[in-house]
Amino acid sequence: MMYFSYLFATGLTTGAIYALVALGIVVVYRATNVVNFAHGEMFMLAGFMAWSAHVTFGLSYLSALALAVLGAFVLSIVMYRYAFKPLMALRDPNPILLVMIGLSFVLKGAARDVWGGKGDYLTFPPLVSPEPMQFAGIMIMSQQLVVLVAALLVMAVLLLLLRYTRAGKFMQATADNAKAARLVGLRIDRVYMYTFGVGAAVAAISAVLMAPLTLLNPDMGFALFIKGFAAAVLGGLSSIAGAIVGGLILGVAEQMAAGYIETGLQEVAAFVVIVLVLIFIPNGLFGTKVARRV
Amino acid sequence: MASKLLSMRAAAVVLFALLLLVPLSGLNQYYLYIATLVLIHIILALGLNILVGYAGQLAFANAAMFGIGAYGVGLLQKHFGVPFWLGAPAGVLAAMAVGTMLALPALRLSGIYLALATLAFAQCTVWVMMHWISVTYGASGFTIKAIDFAPLPIGSDHGMYYLSWICCVLLLVLARNTIQSRIGRAFVALRDHEIAAQSLGVNLLRYKALAFAMSGFYAGVAGVLYAGVLSFVGPESFGLHQMVLQLAAIVIGGTASIAGSVLGGTLIVVIQEIVREFKFSMEIVFGALLALFVLFKPTGLIDLVHLVRPGWREKLHAAGDEARAAEAPAAAAGERTA
Amino acid sequence: MTFTARGLAACLLVVATTGVAAAQDAETQGITDKEIRIGMFGPFGGPAYLYGKISMNGAEAVFDKVNESGGVHGRKLVLVREDDGCRAEGAIGAVKKLAYESKVFALMGGACSNSTVAARPEIERAGIPFILNSATADSITDPPAKNIFSTQTTGSGESRAQLDFAIKKGAKKIALVAMKDAWGMSRYTPLMKYLEDKNVKLVENLELAGDAVDATPQALKLKASGADAVILVLYPKPAAVMMRDALKLGYNPMWLGNSTISDLKAFGAQVGLPGALDHFVTISSTRFDPSDPKLKAWDDRIKKLFPNDELSPFNFYGLGSALVLVEVLNRVGPQPTRTKFLNELGKLKDFKSEAYFGPITCNAPTSHQCNQNPGWFAWKNDKLVEIQ
Repeated sequence: MMYFSYLFATGLTTGAIYALVALGIVVVYRATNVVNFAHGEMFMLAGFMAWSAHVTFGLSYLSALALAVLGAFVLSIVMYRYAFKPLMALRDPNPILLVMIGLSFVLKGAARDVWGGKGDYLTFPPLVSPEPMQFAGIMIMSQQLVVLVAALLVMAVLLLLLRYTRAGKFMQATADNAKAARLVGLRIDRVYMYTFGVGAAVAAISAVLMAPLTLLNPDMGFALFIKGFAAAVLGGLSSIAGAIVGGLILGVAEQMAAGYIETGLQEVAAFVVIVLVLIFIPNGLFGTKVARRV
Repeated sequence: MASKLLSMRAAAVVLFALLLLVPLSGLNQYYLYIATLVLIHIILALGLNILVGYAGQLAFANAAMFGIGAYGVGLLQKHFGVPFWLGAPAGVLAAMAVGTMLALPALRLSGIYLALATLAFAQCTVWVMMHWISVTYGASGFTIKAIDFAPLPIGSDHGMYYLSWICCVLLLVLARNTIQSRIGRAFVALRDHEIAAQSLGVNLLRYKALAFAMSGFYAGVAGVLYAGVLSFVGPESFGLHQMVLQLAAIVIGGTASIAGSVLGGTLIVVIQEIVREFKFSMEIVFGALLALFVLFKPTGLIDLVHLVRPGWREKLHAAGDEARAAEAPAAAAGERTA
Repeated sequence: MTFTARGLAACLLVVATTGVAAAQDAETQGITDKEIRIGMFGPFGGPAYLYGKISMNGAEAVFDKVNESGGVHGRKLVLVREDDGCRAEGAIGAVKKLAYESKVFALMGGACSNSTVAARPEIERAGIPFILNSATADSITDPPAKNIFSTQTTGSGESRAQLDFAIKKGAKKIALVAMKDAWGMSRYTPLMKYLEDKNVKLVENLELAGDAVDATPQALKLKASGADAVILVLYPKPAAVMMRDALKLGYNPMWLGNSTISDLKAFGAQVGLPGALDHFVTISSTRFDPSDPKLKAWDDRIKKLFPNDELSPFNFYGLGSALVLVEVLNRVGPQPTRTKFLNELGKLKDFKSEAYFGPITCNAPTSHQCNQNPGWFAWKNDKLVEIQ
């Protein structure tokens, strides 16, 4: 039983990581119908920016976090303006996907050039002391708890944002029907732009919180993106709560598969989840079925 | 007569005749190797273009099917001693079978969903290649003997070049004939508007399966040739990196264009060598090329060629059909007025 | 002789001399009055770039230093780098280009096992001297090829050393955590065989992916098995994750690292928990001792040549093989040829350098694996300590 509870608890904490990545993907998808393939690289760059701010330039943890969020926000706005916006008007989603793939490689290569010469991967000092804590008989790294709490907090903030603020309502309206939103005077362009910014900010916060656990290297973006996407798709790409639930389920599933079946399955669990979900429950657990517009 | 000489067909004939002479030109081994890779990548680009450019299915499984072809022929030789000539069709069929299977999810999914589902499938395939050690030799890969071309008096390098040349030419003609037939038109109808196409009687399953099967076939042939050229089969050659290269090839060359596939397949190999020469980062160069072309020249470089040579624009019907179509209304008009 | 016979004889003579000339050209290709061109191939990008680009930076540092004092017998050393993309296709292309197009004198490198194994037939056919410095697959140097030598310990050599060390230190229950990629397999397969030879059964045989962020299932299984020694066939990042998750459970047996975990100070920081290195020992083909003053000079040179970088153990693969190359070129003298180079290299005995733990001895023709002396290290009291 101890074995099971350990796996379960760890699954929740790694799942929280995936949930945070998934949140960034879902926030953008809801409003724009675009899955940002370069989301993982945004995450990775934010982590490196924070590292440089904190370790190289000696800024405080919170300043580094703020700088990373700002950097990611600006970068995503630039990417939106020059890469997404020209293609958003097309009915075809393929070009956007291809552009994002291209950009993700560019960002990865750039990160490798700037930070790659410093060794295999970079350590990031944790926010709280690294000693593990006891929690109902199970040892958890305090940083993992931080990530779990952060995931829930970010989700709560996003839900509140969408429901109760004007900006959130604009995003909701654009997601429902972009044409109608434009007709009632919403500046869709601005909404899209800020949505990307929010997605990038979520990625940056997650990256800085997770960096002590995941350690920074230029290739971490894609691996986390795939897991985040698996979690998002499981939860339903348009559901914020779904992203959290999906992430937690994925985390636990990975641990169980590795713990009870074979440790080699940890690597491939996310891919299997994607394939199974898309074949059997394409709208995920909480997503809404959208009728195809003809 | 002059227009015939400048036609695309004539240009293609000249190009491939010149390619035939490469091994005899005295260029060193490095260039022969590059030329062989060019032919293989042209085949890959043709297959991918049929699926992505013409049929509009953005599937990420081409690199995996490429790998299945290579593993097929390689494992048959390694485990059972089956010679290359017998093992090759088996490898091709395996790739084609897997490709066709992917048509099923493609019926329900499109856009980013299809892309990521096929990507996940491709990663699972690579995982199997790496972990089914008893069969696939795992991540270390395995070597196969150089292909023996006896009783012909040519070495393995030259032999593989000519074999690739033959396959490339045959598959090029097949692609052109397919695109110019009703199959090609059905693909394009599917791509442009699936529901409208269905309402016009285009059978979704049949044509999607055909598009996937064809791209699997092409990828399988390329994979078999690749195993023969490298004399080595390993999982790293068939992952996401390879897939992105192939996508870049058709985007840069020109989607929905046979000539664009030839151009793209060639460029992808040539650009890699140029990047190697100047020590730039492959990741940055290819990522940037892919993004820039999609943003600013989505019709590819072949479009620039079309500006200069408008007669080279590819049609979806054969030249004979056009003449007959032109005659028919004229004849009808003639009847009415007569 | 008749006209045709004379003509034929003349033609044959021309062909023969061209053949001989071509062979002679190959012997000294890459050598001019002013410089010697040396080629290196490995990945510039992707996760394995550390064993490619960074390793090449290390070699460049050596060449820079040697050139500062006038080069080798008056010739400057020039490094020609080629990107193999860590793929078979790239490695074969890189070798062909270096040998036939750039026409270098000798090759160093070989970062990814797969691609180097695929390129081996090509290197042999070209007859160009090759010093392997990073990839550990046995089949690259075994059976020996006339023109291929290695300064890197082999995967099987390290695996045997790991098991021998565990047994020597009295471990009764031995477990293993391994990556199953090409690098991992080059150690895993010989380790399994050696276990069989020694009649030792593992109490746990687990896998961990290279990009894993969590190793709790593995840690739980290890703890449950009560293993007193765990062999790690993992890169530093997954090894750090593994140890962190085990320490979290209060499980800290003897950990046996491998040659990729050579910067122990950084590794300890990466695990991030107190007591991380208490029972950790690692084997290394290269010697990265931060307290060694010679390292400071190399660090400065790396920073001068590559402003964004810092000296890291990965520079040492290239640095070490470059030091060997320079030594052999010095011994060959002012008229180097391929054959002379290979002879001198084969005769190399007890060459000591700051890059390697043990002396470099190539035992041509029996074995072309010149680095048979990896060392065992631990980190105690903030210092690198050798373990016997």
